[in-house]
Amino acid sequence: MTKEVRIGVDTGGTFTDFVIFTDGKIEIKKIPSTPKNPSLAILEGLNEFLEGDFVPFIIHGTTVATNSLLERKGGRIALITTRGFEDILFIGRQTRRKLYSLRGERRVPLLPRHLCFGLEERTSASGKVEKKVSLPELQEILEKIQKSKIEAVAVSLINSYANSSNENIVSRELKRKKIQASISSEVLPEHREYERTSTTAVNAYLMPVISRYLEKLEKKMKKAELRIMQSNEGYIIPRKAKSEPIRTALSGPAGGVVGAFRLARAAGLKNLITFDMGGTSSDVSLIDGEIRRTNESQIGGIPVRIPIIDIHTVGAGGGSIAYVDRGGSLRVGPQSAGADPGPACYGRGNLPTVTDANLVLGRLVPDFFLGGKMEIFPDKSHGVLQILAKKINKSLLETAAGIIEIANANMEKAIRIISIERGFDPRNFALFSFGGSGGMHAVDIASHLKIPRVIIPKNAGVLSALGLLLADSIKDFSKSILKIAEKMSKKELDKEFVVLEQKSFKTMEEDGFKEEDVTITPSLDLRYFGQSYEITIPFRDRKTPSFSFISDFHNAHQKLYSYHHRGRSVEIVNIRVKAVGAGKKIRPKKHSRTGTSIKKAFLKKQAIHYQGKRHQASVYTRANLIPGNKINGPALIADSGSTTFLPLSYRLEVDSFMNLVIRKKERSNG
Amino acid sequence: MVEFDPIELELFKNIFVSISDEMGAVLERTSLSPNIKERKDFSCALFNQKGETFAQGSHIPVHLGAMPLSVQAALKALHFEEGDLAILNDPYRGGTHLPDITCISPVFVDRKLAFFVGNRAHHSDVGGMTPGSMPLATEIFQEGLIIPPIKLIRKGRMSSDLLELILANVRTPEERKGDLLAQIAANEKGKQRLKEIIKKYGLNKLLRYTRLIQRYSEKILRETIKHIPDGTFTFTDYLDDDGIKDNPIKITVEITIKNDEALIDFSSSSSQVEGGVNANYAVTYSAVLYVFRCLVEEDIPFNTGLMRPLKINAPRGSILNALYPAATAGGNVETSQRIVDVLFGALSQFIPQKIAAASSGTMNNVTFGGYDPSRERSFAYYETIGGGMGGSSDFPGLSGVHTHMTNSLNTPLEALENYLPLRIKRYCLRRGSGGGGKNKGGEGIIREYEFHVPTQVTIISERRKFAPYGIQGGKSGKKGKNILISKGKKTPLSSKVNIKVMPGDVLRIETPGGGGYGRKE
Repeated sequence: MTKEVRIGVDTGGTFTDFVIFTDGKIEIKKIPSTPKNPSLAILEGLNEFLEGDFVPFIIHGTTVATNSLLERKGGRIALITTRGFEDILFIGRQTRRKLYSLRGERRVPLLPRHLCFGLEERTSASGKVEKKVSLPELQEILEKIQKSKIEAVAVSLINSYANSSNENIVSRELKRKKIQASISSEVLPEHREYERTSTTAVNAYLMPVISRYLEKLEKKMKKAELRIMQSNEGYIIPRKAKSEPIRTALSGPAGGVVGAFRLARAAGLKNLITFDMGGTSSDVSLIDGEIRRTNESQIGGIPVRIPIIDIHTVGAGGGSIAYVDRGGSLRVGPQSAGADPGPACYGRGNLPTVTDANLVLGRLVPDFFLGGKMEIFPDKSHGVLQILAKKINKSLLETAAGIIEIANANMEKAIRIISIERGFDPRNFALFSFGGSGGMHAVDIASHLKIPRVIIPKNAGVLSALGLLLADSIKDFSKSILKIAEKMSKKELDKEFVVLEQKSFKTMEEDGFKEEDVTITPSLDLRYFGQSYEITIPFRDRKTPSFSFISDFHNAHQKLYSYHHRGRSVEIVNIRVKAVGAGKKIRPKKHSRTGTSIKKAFLKKQAIHYQGKRHQASVYTRANLIPGNKINGPALIADSGSTTFLPLSYRLEVDSFMNLVIRKKERSNG
Repeated sequence: MVEFDPIELELFKNIFVSISDEMGAVLERTSLSPNIKERKDFSCALFNQKGETFAQGSHIPVHLGAMPLSVQAALKALHFEEGDLAILNDPYRGGTHLPDITCISPVFVDRKLAFFVGNRAHHSDVGGMTPGSMPLATEIFQEGLIIPPIKLIRKGRMSSDLLELILANVRTPEERKGDLLAQIAANEKGKQRLKEIIKKYGLNKLLRYTRLIQRYSEKILRETIKHIPDGTFTFTDYLDDDGIKDNPIKITVEITIKNDEALIDFSSSSSQVEGGVNANYAVTYSAVLYVFRCLVEEDIPFNTGLMRPLKINAPRGSILNALYPAATAGGNVETSQRIVDVLFGALSQFIPQKIAAASSGTMNNVTFGGYDPSRERSFAYYETIGGGMGGSSDFPGLSGVHTHMTNSLNTPLEALENYLPLRIKRYCLRRGSGGGGKNKGGEGIIREYEFHVPTQVTIISERRKFAPYGIQGGKSGKKGKNILISKGKKTPLSSKVNIKVMPGDVLRIETPGGGGYGRKE
């Protein structure tokens, strides 16, 4: 029997992480990233697995799409749209980004204006083709496109969401000429012409880049089965990633959220808020039994309307810089010292950061920084913070504590947005913290938001790569309906869903999933007639179609906005189908309790400062903790990539999945 | 200098902004008017018991100065009790123009009035001569239903008679009701959050920081003004006309900078006019605040503190401080833009490298309505169209955007065509309309509407006669145009017009480009 090897590969800014699962065992590997050509680091890490007599299954999370978009290094593309709307991508929604500015702003478009072509054609809002595409006119445009050495063409015609037949004609001709095409009615058959066109154009823009990148990888790993992570929490086959590369954009944080979701679920937790605090920013998301998604994201100022995990990012991280502004207020971030020069304690710069404040307060273990592999300079932190302290007329420790408090407030605000603002009470959730800096802040943040429990998983530093191994194959399909629910018959609605479901079974089959292995989750985007924003409501009664989703919608509206209009018509804006193909995935390993002695893990005592007082905290090494271990605060748990700070009145327990579970101490009876 | 804790100041700044943001999120996501939900034509704010703002989330600069005047007008007219909610739109008692309806709720702590929360939103229709309530009127009574400060909710109970009265006076009552409910919900959110904060930090501490936040913003603006050389400069520009008489309307400002204060004197400007381009004081105030806020580079909280270093002289009865019952629908949207242009024009003489050329200088307001037989309902719709931004010393001006006093989104045409009996035939940039220069002005927009049923159309636009100025040797942007195409015949329309169009007619609006910056080398 050949051995089973599954590998999660996550390309990050500094390191490319590998989590390798071989016959039930997990191995972790970190290789410095090669940003100019990310495949170098990947192939270096995978080398030993590509030549054996087994077929490794590799799931890859890549930032190639996001980065090419942010740096505007995509392909040379053209746009074909309806005549009269050639400038659609330049006008956008008619708004400027900065409300108050003397200077205006710079915009870098995806393509030049002379490569936007208008066709004399028209479909009405009701889906009637009023003017068919004229083939001679189209040929003329295609000739110009071929002369301009275009790599991919985006096609988005007005009202094509209601009837795609005109777009289909253009699509067919492009295929005939073997020109790579991104068609709006395939990428995003939803109304709102600018967002649909920008999504379609971004997709075209990424096609050449992703194709080249994946072809290079595939060539080197002929013996492997490669899958690519998407931003919607599932993976796809490389061929699909090449034709719809937009689905891999913003997939960076997806692995981490999937990892959190699966690990928490194994430990019996359904409701969690994920908190990933890195060097420059923090990502938060909410999971209420399932990973929540949004269709309203932007990358580098361009709307991208595909379903992605609803992650809110805030510019507060370990490297965020503290300074006093002109009004005398102490500010933290969003500017960051990054990895270079990094916080003052790295010894290369003089910028006081959140990490320096943590160090001054004793919440970091200097001789254990990055597992002891990196030398740090506590004196530099003291020095730069002392200067800041003088400016605001406070003591060194007060200043450091203030920096932490302000950074925490920024992160709390982000969590409020994804929880309270969306009708969720944080008291019903656990805070699942990972990323390099999260452990030092998680307990304070949880306590402010009254979140009763904090979970810090093992291997928190490579959770994104681990999450890849825990993901499923997922595809999303949608269609704009724009009809009043009461005016639709069950039959009509059923018909629309059947079309999407057939489409999903067909595409999943191409990826190697049989119909019985595919789970379909139908949902509807609903709003009161006249509103502009929708709420996605699960279609619970899909099998025996009833309109119970209408009362679900009223309830959801009440929960989100604290009112609802019972009598008002409800409009079905879009219908959605999520298809999940459950592939093989690893299961988090449960350890049997092997004792309660923590002597082996104890390292030393260290002075810390908390809430204006000095305490002696016990320092433990995470690697030597075992399930069942219990620790009372104040304590520090030093891991290779992160430190966890356990304040005074908190208690930690290592659960059978090696997670640190932190709760407030219960008042003892004497 | 008052002692404060720089750490706490930062924390309270965060809290206040997040409350007004949360109020805005409720309003945006649940309202029904395209103006509110798509175009974000609304503002939410927190006030102290005197009606001064200490936090304001604003997408629309023209609301900036006007919000505190609303609360002050309500305070003067009403005795507030716990659970009340006041509404108003009267430009002469706390409003700006009639479509902007403001809702104000008092926040009581231990049965004492401590704060107000409020929001203002642009409703699609408040009655009056023409659908959309942006008519060419000569007195305010023609412009729509006038709501003085009154209580829509008394001690927690909705005054349904009053609501019925309001709804009976508008063309789209269902939509109005939905929008008002959204506005009420936004205030409830603000009240609830403020109460949480009071519980956590105590009233006294909170009050102290509301004052400190105002001083903070004031201090930063004073520092900014201090960097402008002392002196006096004037600048004059014109509005095309008032839509009734064909005369240009003069707007002149004289700015005097002295140390960290600015005196802004509009006394040489034209008297108020017959047509609806009169601005009330709130609008003028907002335009001044907007311009000085732009001078501040950092992100600062918007509040009453910013008003303290600025002294404004806008004589009563002038176009910039019109008296009852002058018509005001266009003052808020058009005159406000010209006030900004003259202010920047004057400032450019103090700090030439820092000030950009004039932007398109008009919101190109298009309102239409009628009866749609196929959907069996009346319709009323209002939208504005962007133009070119002026070039600056750093960048060419953006094309096809809203500038200065508005930043409202367009309505997707695929949404419009789904609900209204019309089609958008063309929506593109107006090639060659940006003024030349070292950094060119941005281009305007061309938008064409084809109507399917008889429709009443009102246009209130500007810069059809006087072009947006270039600066430091840059060329001016192209003037705008309004054209009606009926049975193949093109008829130019004036800048402000009210017409009835027939099925098949096409209305083309060409908006002005921005001025250029610097001589082209």
